[in-house]
Amino acid sequence: MPTPTPPPPPPLSRITSREVLHQYLYAAMQLEHATIPTYLTTLYSMHPGTNSDAYHVIRVVAVEEMLHLTLAANLLNAVGGKPDLTGPDFVPTFPAYLPDGEDDFEVSRQRFCKDAIDMFLKIERPGPAPTEEDRVKPKKDKAKPNLASLPDDPGLRFFSIGEFYVEIDRGVVALHEQLGQALFKGDRSLQVTPDYYYSGGGEVIPVHDLKSARRAINLIAEQGEGLGGGIYDDESELAHYFRFKQMLDGYYYQKGDSADKPTGPELAIDWDAVYPIKTNAGLADFPDGSELHAAALDFNVLYADFLGLITRAFNGQPQLLIDAVAGMFRLRDKANLLIRNPIPGSDGVNGAPTFELAAVAGKVAS
Amino acid sequence: MIFPRGVIRRTDHQQAAETVYDAVIVGSGISGAIIANELSAAGHRVLILEAAVGDDITLRGYEGYLSDFYSAVSKDNQAPYPANLNAQMPRSTDVRQLVPGAVDASSYLVQNGPFASDTTYTRVLGGTTVHWEAKILRMLPEDFQIRTRYGQGQDWPVTYEQLAPYYVQAEREIGVSGEVEDQAYLGISFDDGYVLPMHAMPLSYLDRMVAKDVDGTEVALDGERYSLKVRSFPQGRNGIPNPAYDGGQGYTPVGAVSTNQVEEGGRCQGNNNCVPICPVQAKYHAGKTLAKALSSGRVDMLPQTVASKVHIDTDSGRVTHIEYKAYHDPSSPEHTTGTVRGRIFVLAANAIENPRLMLASGLQSTSGLVGRNLMDHAYLLNWALLPEVAGTMRGTVCTGGICDLRGGSFRRRQAAFSIDIHNDGWGWATGAPDTDLERIVDKENRFGASLRHALVDQISRQLLLAFQTEVPPSESNRITVDPAFTDNLGNLRPIISYHIPEYTMRGVEYGRRLAQRIFARLGAEDHTFYDPSDYGYVSYGGAGYALRGGNHLAGTHMMGTSPGNSVVDERQRSWDHQNLYLVGGGSLPSIGTSNITLTLSALCFKSARHMIDQLRDETAPARASAA
Repeated sequence: MPTPTPPPPPPLSRITSREVLHQYLYAAMQLEHATIPTYLTTLYSMHPGTNSDAYHVIRVVAVEEMLHLTLAANLLNAVGGKPDLTGPDFVPTFPAYLPDGEDDFEVSRQRFCKDAIDMFLKIERPGPAPTEEDRVKPKKDKAKPNLASLPDDPGLRFFSIGEFYVEIDRGVVALHEQLGQALFKGDRSLQVTPDYYYSGGGEVIPVHDLKSARRAINLIAEQGEGLGGGIYDDESELAHYFRFKQMLDGYYYQKGDSADKPTGPELAIDWDAVYPIKTNAGLADFPDGSELHAAALDFNVLYADFLGLITRAFNGQPQLLIDAVAGMFRLRDKANLLIRNPIPGSDGVNGAPTFELAAVAGKVAS
Repeated sequence: MIFPRGVIRRTDHQQAAETVYDAVIVGSGISGAIIANELSAAGHRVLILEAAVGDDITLRGYEGYLSDFYSAVSKDNQAPYPANLNAQMPRSTDVRQLVPGAVDASSYLVQNGPFASDTTYTRVLGGTTVHWEAKILRMLPEDFQIRTRYGQGQDWPVTYEQLAPYYVQAEREIGVSGEVEDQAYLGISFDDGYVLPMHAMPLSYLDRMVAKDVDGTEVALDGERYSLKVRSFPQGRNGIPNPAYDGGQGYTPVGAVSTNQVEEGGRCQGNNNCVPICPVQAKYHAGKTLAKALSSGRVDMLPQTVASKVHIDTDSGRVTHIEYKAYHDPSSPEHTTGTVRGRIFVLAANAIENPRLMLASGLQSTSGLVGRNLMDHAYLLNWALLPEVAGTMRGTVCTGGICDLRGGSFRRRQAAFSIDIHNDGWGWATGAPDTDLERIVDKENRFGASLRHALVDQISRQLLLAFQTEVPPSESNRITVDPAFTDNLGNLRPIISYHIPEYTMRGVEYGRRLAQRIFARLGAEDHTFYDPSDYGYVSYGGAGYALRGGNHLAGTHMMGTSPGNSVVDERQRSWDHQNLYLVGGGSLPSIGTSNITLTLSALCFKSARHMIDQLRDETAPARASAA
């Protein structure tokens, strides 16, 4: 009788200690948050009441990033870390960079347009590395920040966001081998539960053991990049990549369609129903002393406050997430103010929120 | 909730004519939707006839309603919904003061008086639940035995306990936010361990401000003492799911309906314009149930198809077919006629359209009660200005109220009522905030900061207490038809004859005094004024009151214990026609002091069980007599 082959050992992970796991999970929070300013900017740049399908797709993806952010916070809390969205480096400067396999690509805050959809496609594109060795690559330009840099070695970055989460998954499994249930030493009352967080994008998962941790990681990874393949996910929902692709192709996907050919009804987009906002707008683009400049500063203060509120929610007051809903409406109103007004002297280019929080650090209510 | 794409257009009149359905349902509102869903889930083939224009329910279509609503200068509760000459709906803008002895036929609903009813109902896919407020109250146990206990009205042929399991089903289907602890008063009880699907919506700041001064107020009535308390109302809109629901399985809220996935409406945002339309579909509407029913593959639908006559086999009394008028273009009366056949037939078109159709078909029933005993809640509005800013205009239309006088021995003599605290200020009474804005700008000449302060000062302190007062059945309150009044398609229009019974007026009179007392306790300035030229003006006891309807239409095919005293039995099945069910508010023998949709939905779940039993027990479709 042939000897049965032993199961392969779990793959090695770079995450060899709780501290490194904390670094990775903080990086995950940064990563999940990073695209929210881009989605919201594009969303609010659309004329109200137009391009309903596009509006809803972008909105739902933004809401899912918020779910992912919350899941990452739950993971970090579960393993004894402390989520903090108020650090000066939490919000990226734009353009930011995400990995796209061999290269990376720019992530910008821009108006609703085909380039923006292309960018969203890249953010969502499934990207498993072809080999184990390809999973981690040296950064071509060490000076350029990359949202998928290795927290433990910033000269390197992952092949894709998907591989970044594979690393976290391996790390959690490996640390659990080492520490057992003690890995999940975090106070369970810190976990955000579905009472306080709701979104159509999926249920928030409180994390308290290996199983729930891997479910949470899987949810983040699957909803985004769908490394599992197939254009519809486990819940028969069309993966985001294809929801965006529909907009460029001009047709809806249907069940049974292959990845490159949507056969559903027409999806017509009015690409002109958009406010002409400045891409990656910064405070420096608005004339000193102008109302627009003051309003842009107001937005940044409000956003910093908002991140402070979320941080408090993630650190023992999850019920504050209900207040955060009202906060989102206020942010929307302030964003709209900027987006619908031209930059003085700019010949038809409108303002936009700048998300520059370092400058307002001193003004934020603690 | 995914709406199966293309399903509405899948069946045409030709195909429908060739099928003998297990059930033909007239109307796609909550009653029709629930029954279609239950029957199709049990494997039956169902056809729904819908008078309105119907197409796949999509988010884009819903957003069309929203932008019509936003851009409407005058916002009544039909403002989002397109007028359709071939399937007209009464609008509150139609009603006018009646001249005694004269009939007002100026709009769809012919008003014979003496009381002018401002009732509305919405003829779109999903029916009136698209515009309703979605307040969800169970009736009190004593409401089911009001004749035995108080010598008033009619007893139900079922008890609260018998209906309770169906209340549970209705609460699940609608998706109710509330706490059973708050609702266990005046005999309302729940099974051990039962919780509502979602947690209660919080009381608004306004509710709590009222509660501070009102809670604990004692009133004496008919020898009994009642202590008043502001209580949260269960709501048919999405809130925080209760993990203890369904034996710990929890509950997943159902949000917006569309043909492709959309994530909206998972939770109420407090937009305050629930009536006439929830911007995000956090509020339940029957489209959510229709989507499920139509996904079964066993439900066909024919929109733009107005049922015009129910045909009976004279020997057996059974319905053989329903004749309809189908129009192609809502703005043209051109139509084709046709018929549909089923083993059972269900009229689910509401408590005005059901009897209208029966009477137009010559079917008065043995009791002669078809169309009679029309009831609607009589609302007495009382409005005042609170001494301090109360945050009016936030939250759902109504989150809290006073329910302590919904029941009691006083019901021997006078009508019970429940009191709604309106989060939308004086809107219903005065047209606030638009009328306030007009007055502040045009009459007070304010602008700038002064205008902003005046708006806050005058609107954010508004308190409206709406007294939902019971109306008992009265045979002369009725729906009739007359060949003199036909609609665009030549169908007979409903004629409403209605008066407010004295029993109700005694409750109204008492309510007015109680409102004044409550305002005094609050230190609020009473601004209530009833204009004698108001269409709902009723004089009683030396005073006048302007009353409003609640659109809680009931009684016109009342259920009872024999063919002599009612139209339908406890299954909502016609005594006279063995394969005909008349479902919805029309079956209710009393309306108590609760919005009727939860109760009529519970009855529909019950009836669906009986229909399934009947379909199983009977094997042959009705055949027209050989004559």
